[in-house]
Amino acid sequence: MYILENTKLKASMIGLGLSLSLGLTLAIAADSSKTAVDGGIKYNTKDGKYTSYYVNPVQVKYNNGRAATKKEITAWNIDVMPDGTGLPEFDMKHGEPVLGEDGKPKKAEGSVALGNELYDAQCAMCHGDFGSGGKGYPSLVGGTVGSLKNQLMNPADENPSMDPPQKSIGSYWPYASTLFWYIQDAMPFPHPKSLTNSETYAIVAYLLSVNSITIDGKTLDDEYVLDKEKFKKIVMPNANGFYPDVDTKKDPKQGVKNMTKLMSDPKNFGGGTKCMKNCIKGKVPVLKIANELNDFHPAPNTKRDWFVPENKAAHPMQAAYEEKCASCHGNAAIGAPVVGDKDAWAKVSAKGLENVYKNGIMGINGMPPKGGQDMSDDDFKKIVGYMLESSK
Amino acid sequence: MKKISEIFKKDLVASTELPSSRREFFKKTAVYSVGAVAAANVLSPVSLKADDQAIIGEAPWGTKLGDLVTKNPYGLPSPYEHNNVRRATDLLSSGDFYASVSMTPIHESEGIITPNGLFFTRNHGGTAHVDPNEFRLMIHGKVKREVVLTLEDLKKYPSESRIYFIECPANGSTDWRGPQFNNLQFLKGMMSSAMWTGVMLKTVLDDIGLEKDAVWMLAEGSDNAGNPRTIPVEKALDDAMLVWGQNGEALRAEQGYPLRLLVPGWEGNLNTKWLKRLEFSDKPWHSKEETSKYTMLQKSGKAIQYFWVNEVNSVVTSPCPEKPWTELKVGDMVEIEGLAWSGQGTIKGVDITFDGGNNWVEAKLKGLVLPKSWTRFSYITKWDGKPMLLASRSHDDTGNVQPTIDEETSVVGVESVYHRNAIVTWQINEKGECSNVHIRKHKA
Repeated sequence: MYILENTKLKASMIGLGLSLSLGLTLAIAADSSKTAVDGGIKYNTKDGKYTSYYVNPVQVKYNNGRAATKKEITAWNIDVMPDGTGLPEFDMKHGEPVLGEDGKPKKAEGSVALGNELYDAQCAMCHGDFGSGGKGYPSLVGGTVGSLKNQLMNPADENPSMDPPQKSIGSYWPYASTLFWYIQDAMPFPHPKSLTNSETYAIVAYLLSVNSITIDGKTLDDEYVLDKEKFKKIVMPNANGFYPDVDTKKDPKQGVKNMTKLMSDPKNFGGGTKCMKNCIKGKVPVLKIANELNDFHPAPNTKRDWFVPENKAAHPMQAAYEEKCASCHGNAAIGAPVVGDKDAWAKVSAKGLENVYKNGIMGINGMPPKGGQDMSDDDFKKIVGYMLESSK
Repeated sequence: MKKISEIFKKDLVASTELPSSRREFFKKTAVYSVGAVAAANVLSPVSLKADDQAIIGEAPWGTKLGDLVTKNPYGLPSPYEHNNVRRATDLLSSGDFYASVSMTPIHESEGIITPNGLFFTRNHGGTAHVDPNEFRLMIHGKVKREVVLTLEDLKKYPSESRIYFIECPANGSTDWRGPQFNNLQFLKGMMSSAMWTGVMLKTVLDDIGLEKDAVWMLAEGSDNAGNPRTIPVEKALDDAMLVWGQNGEALRAEQGYPLRLLVPGWEGNLNTKWLKRLEFSDKPWHSKEETSKYTMLQKSGKAIQYFWVNEVNSVVTSPCPEKPWTELKVGDMVEIEGLAWSGQGTIKGVDITFDGGNNWVEAKLKGLVLPKSWTRFSYITKWDGKPMLLASRSHDDTGNVQPTIDEETSVVGVESVYHRNAIVTWQINEKGECSNVHIRKHKA
C-alpha cells in the first residue's frame, strides 16, 4: 500500500473503491435478499446453483397427473372456512348426498339433545362430563377471554397471577368453523370420520351450549337445532383475539404481507443483541430447576453394553388390542381398567368371565358396546383374554 | 420376517463366550440417572491400565468368524448402541402415546444428519401406514388444472436433494416459566435433520398452473388426524418441496410415507405427513392446529397467529447433562461442540460464554454451512476445574441474534408455548457435572 499524495486522485480512488465494493454487494444481493415471506433470506438460483447446491436449470412442461373428478373433489374437500365456505348442507357419503326416505338429499342438521347423547356415548370417556376434561385429553370448556391476559408463574413477575389463562373452545377458539371441521375430520379419536354431518352439527351445538355460547341472541337449549344457515351466524367470544390480520378480503395478499412484516422484525417476538463484553450489569441471576420433570419412556441411559432383549413372543391378540382398545385401556386417566394393573383386573375377573364378556359386549360405565369398535363377539372375547392374561 | 429379538438372541450366545475380563470391561459403563446428575451415574470412559487386557488378551471378535453378510438384509445399529433411542414423556402426551412426541437423542447426534430411526416423531393420531399403491395426491381449488397424481406421476418430475432440519415450534417449551428438564434430549430433542429428496413444489405448481388469486395453500394428510394447515403460496413457490426420500431411502412411516410436504425452516407441524391434498384459495383456512394450537398468547391477551418460521437458535451439545465433563482432569484440553440453526436463513456465527452471558468469545463453525440446516460449532478450551455457566448464542444472515431469556420473555411473556429460542445455559460445577439453569431475572 502506498500513500496517495494527490488528494484529488485519492478522492477518485476512494470513489472507485466504493463503487467496486458496491458492485460486489449488489452481486451478492442478486443471489439472496431479505425478502422471503417469513422475513428471512430468499435465496435464488443463479448460474446453475442454489446456495451450495448444484441444480439442473432446465424448465419444461410435464403435464403430469389426470383431471380430478367432481365426485373425488367432493369426497375429500370437507374443510370449513370461517365464512361458512364448505359447511355441508346435506349428509354426504362417498362424495354424494345421502338420500332421505322421500328420495331427496337429507338435510344436515342436529339438535343439542342429540349432541348430548352422542357426546356422552363417544366423547365423554376422554373429554369428561360436559367437556370438563381431566382425563389427560383437552378440556372443552372453561376459562374466560379476560383470563388470557394472565401470565402464570413468570419468575420475573412481581405479582404472579393465580388465575391461569385457559385456552378452551369458549375462551380461545376464534371460529366455530374449526370446531365443525375438526370433529368431522378427526374425531372421535379412536375412529374418526365416522360421524354423519348431522351428528357433527349436533355435537357442535352441544359443545357451544356447554360453553354458554349463544347464536343470534338465542340460548342453545336441548331443542335447539343447528344447521348451515344458523351456523354462519355464530360469533365466538375470542374472535378478535388474534393478530396480525390475515383475513384481508379486499386484497388477499395483504394478509400475507402483514405476517411478513411481523416476522421481519425481532422486536415483535424477542431478538438478541450481539454484546461481547460486560453484557450483564451486576450479579448473574441463576435460576435452578425447582421441580425436575423425569417421567421418561424409556428411562435415560448412556450405557454402552450388549443388548439383552426380553425374549417374549408377542401375544396373537396384542396387535388387535393396541389398535382397538389401548386408547382407553392403556391410559390410567380414562378410568377404564389399565392393562397390566393387577388389582384393577382382579376386580374385573372377580365378576366371572361370562359377565366380563357380557359387560364389554353390551357396554359398561363410560365404555360403549365393544368400546365402539367393529369386531365379532369372538374376537372381542379373545382380546379380553389377552388383557386379562397381561394383567395377572 | 425375522424378529429383531431372534437376531439378538443369536448374537447373545456369542457374547456369553466372551472371557470374563472382557465382560467386566463392557460393564464398566454406567447408567445416567434422572434426578441429580452425579458423576457415578454417567457413562464413564474406559480407564487404561498398564498391560491392558484389551491389548494383551485376544478379542473374541478377532479370533472367530463374525456375522454373515446375509444376516441382516436391512442393517441394524451395533447392539452396544441400544440406548441411543428416541424417548417420550407423559407430560407431552395428550392422554396417550398416539397424540404425542418422541424426542431425538440430540446428546448422541453426530454431524448434521439424524439417522432415520432416531428422527423425532410428532403424531396427532398415531403413525399411519399408507399403501403406496393407493396413494393419491389431489391438487385443486384456484388452479388451472385440478389434478390427481400418483406417486409415480410425482417421481416423473426432476428430483432434488437438500439438507434441512425440521423442528417442532414447541421445542424447549417446558422452559418458558423456569428450567424443568435436566437433559438435552427433552430440552431440545423435538428436532432432527435429514437430506430430503423430492420435487420442488414450484415445479409441480408451474406444471399445473395457479390462478392469479391463489394466495393461500391448504396442505392436508391422509392419516386419522389429517392435520390440515394453511401456508402462503409465496412459500410454496420459494423453497417448499414434496419429498419421498429421507437420507437415501424412502420416507419412514413416522415421517409421512410415502409423501410429505417440506417447508424448510418452518414449524414442524406445517410439514404435512402422509400428504393427500393441496387446495388453493384467496382466504386462509384457520384449522384447529392454527387457532387452538400453534398460536402464541401474549401479555396483551391477544395471540400471534400464523407465525410460521423457526427463529435463530443454538445449544451446546457437548458437554450437556447426559455428557458431562466428570471424567476430565484439570488441565485437559476439550472441545465444546454444539448445534446452531435458523429457519430464516444461514448461520453466520456462534458466540460462547463461560460466565452466564457477561462476556462472550467467537466459536468456529465447522462442516457444511447450509441454509435452514443444522450447523455445527466448535470451541477448544482447557478445563480448569472451575465452575462455569456455559452457553452459546447464534446469529444468522438476516442479522437476527438469538435472545437471552429476558430479552425474549420481556416481549412475548411466558404463555406463548411455541417459538422459544432463548439461550440455553449449562451450569458446570467443580466435578464437571452439568445442569440446565436459566439466566433470568427472578425473585430469590
